[in-house]
Amino acid sequence: MNPLSSRKSKSPPVLELRHIVKTYTSGNTTFNALDGVSLTICKGEFISITGPSGSGKSTLMHIIGLLDNPTSGEVLLESQNISHLKEHEMARVRNVTLGFVFQQFNLLPKTSSLENVMLPLLYSDIPKSEHKRIATELLTRVGLESKLKNTPAQLSGGQQQRVAIARALVNNPKIILADEPTGNLDSKSGKEIIALLHELNKEGRTIVLVTHDIELAKQAQKIVIIKDGKIA
Amino acid sequence: MYRFKPSISDLVKSSVQSILKNKGRTILTSLGIIIGVTSVILLTSIGNGLTIYVNSQFESLGSNSIFVSPGKIFNDNGGFNSQGGGGRLVSTSFDQKNITSLERGLRGSQIVPISVAQVDIKSPNSTKKGQSVIGSTYRYGLATNNFPSSSNGRWFSQEEESKKSKVIVLGNKIATDLFPSGNALGKKVIVKGKNLKVIGINDKKGGSFGGPDTDSQSFVPIGLAQEFSGSEKIQQILIKTPTKDQVTATKTKTEQILLKTFDKDAFSVFDSSQLLSSINSIIGTLTIALTGIAAISLVVGGIGIMNIMLVTVSERTREIGLRKAVGAYPRAILLQFLFEAVILSSVGGTIGILLGFLGTLAINNFFPAQVTVGSVLLAFGVSSLVGIVFGVTPARKASQLSPIEALRYE
Repeated sequence: MNPLSSRKSKSPPVLELRHIVKTYTSGNTTFNALDGVSLTICKGEFISITGPSGSGKSTLMHIIGLLDNPTSGEVLLESQNISHLKEHEMARVRNVTLGFVFQQFNLLPKTSSLENVMLPLLYSDIPKSEHKRIATELLTRVGLESKLKNTPAQLSGGQQQRVAIARALVNNPKIILADEPTGNLDSKSGKEIIALLHELNKEGRTIVLVTHDIELAKQAQKIVIIKDGKIA
Repeated sequence: MYRFKPSISDLVKSSVQSILKNKGRTILTSLGIIIGVTSVILLTSIGNGLTIYVNSQFESLGSNSIFVSPGKIFNDNGGFNSQGGGGRLVSTSFDQKNITSLERGLRGSQIVPISVAQVDIKSPNSTKKGQSVIGSTYRYGLATNNFPSSSNGRWFSQEEESKKSKVIVLGNKIATDLFPSGNALGKKVIVKGKNLKVIGINDKKGGSFGGPDTDSQSFVPIGLAQEFSGSEKIQQILIKTPTKDQVTATKTKTEQILLKTFDKDAFSVFDSSQLLSSINSIIGTLTIALTGIAAISLVVGGIGIMNIMLVTVSERTREIGLRKAVGAYPRAILLQFLFEAVILSSVGGTIGILLGFLGTLAINNFFPAQVTVGSVLLAFGVSSLVGIVFGVTPARKASQLSPIEALRYE
């Protein structure tokens, strides 16, 4: 096991990656984007994953985000092997396990903050009568209680990212996966977003922050540096 | 673990929402379907109205009517004979001897001879040129269900018929044309220099389509009409049997009697149901052919929908990626886009049906047209089907997008 996978933590692991290899084939040449990566994410951790572009950082994020299957290796969610699930089963697991925060925010245009936050609930088992209440609570939590009806075009970048964070929280996920969440923000808004992620971590949320910014990565409890498809 | 989420109503709701976000495009996209459905509804309404009209006209003649006409009108298959222009160019005509032998041979049936003269009719107010004056017997009015109601005078009597009295019964329309200012009853009209007294004005029959306009015809004793045309010839014979059951037997007997004088192809004996079924089959064929042409525009409309759905899928690649990332499985995405296509096409279909209704109402002012329930259901069904058929490809494309690629898409 990689020394960086936290053995100190007493919390149970949420997600474990074991000897993950991801190979891309282009014509006759094959290329290992990930080459035997093992990583354990424990409950309540704040982990950052960093590395130069082309290092395999994005590929790792896709595997952690259950958006992609590894070529070989195992993915364990709460000790259950989920490496070989079908596409619709993966979608289901994502829905209950993960909350995504993207660099591009990825809010639906011409759609209110409230409806954007409620979107993941559409695909969940949470009763419909609860949707509005949960979304309103979370938007209040991120400080946007006055912007429930606003569309993304009527919000600043920082506000849009707050809506996205509220959306990531709406299913009460086990892991929040933030991919360069400050990449499209000015430094002030960026700091606020990072501060918000830290607050959420203090409340017990497990956070995985993917960034190329070493300074930002250093703010996490645990840093995973990836280089040439391997954990450095 | 795998339950059907979101519910159909949620899917429909989100489809409606995204359609409403692009109102202008929605209307343009639906236009093809709107035009297609409108024309299908209109054409079937016209065909249907026509059938109803023709049927009602024939019903008023009565189902116990047999017609004898010169020439061969029907071919052996029951359709109209394609040669000789319906027999009207054939020079055969009947005369009083034929009538007499029919009267002898067909005891119990009414034999009503018809002679037509084309004349000018003058009133003090106006002149109507080239009018059809029908000469017949005192029984004609009752036999064809075309006679004045009691307040509008009467048909001519048997005595007036045999005396060739100078009396005339006017069709409703020609009566108004000749005497625009008021009641024509009891007034005089001049035909070929003779003063005729108007003794009756027929009730309005309405409509002018699918046959001679009886409202424009005038009726005189048969001898008088023959004087006007200068010929003793009889162009048509109407036979009324006492009951409907005797029609077939009477037809056969009529043919036998006439075959003594004429060739097989020189005359036609037919009843109203025979004529009606031939006309109905022609109207039916025409309606189907025209509706088929209109239906092509439905297909074109469907291609328009497919095109715009493919554009929508490309435009919303990021949205699809996001939905997948937060838990939408492929079928949820497929259904969402399929519903959008079906809603687009069925909204178009509904608008088309409404326009078809309005168009039918407008056409009704000068043409009998009637919307059929069948055509409405068919149009709605077909337009929804078009949505499904042409929506599946874009929807499948959307559902198969990989969330990673979709989120990366700029």
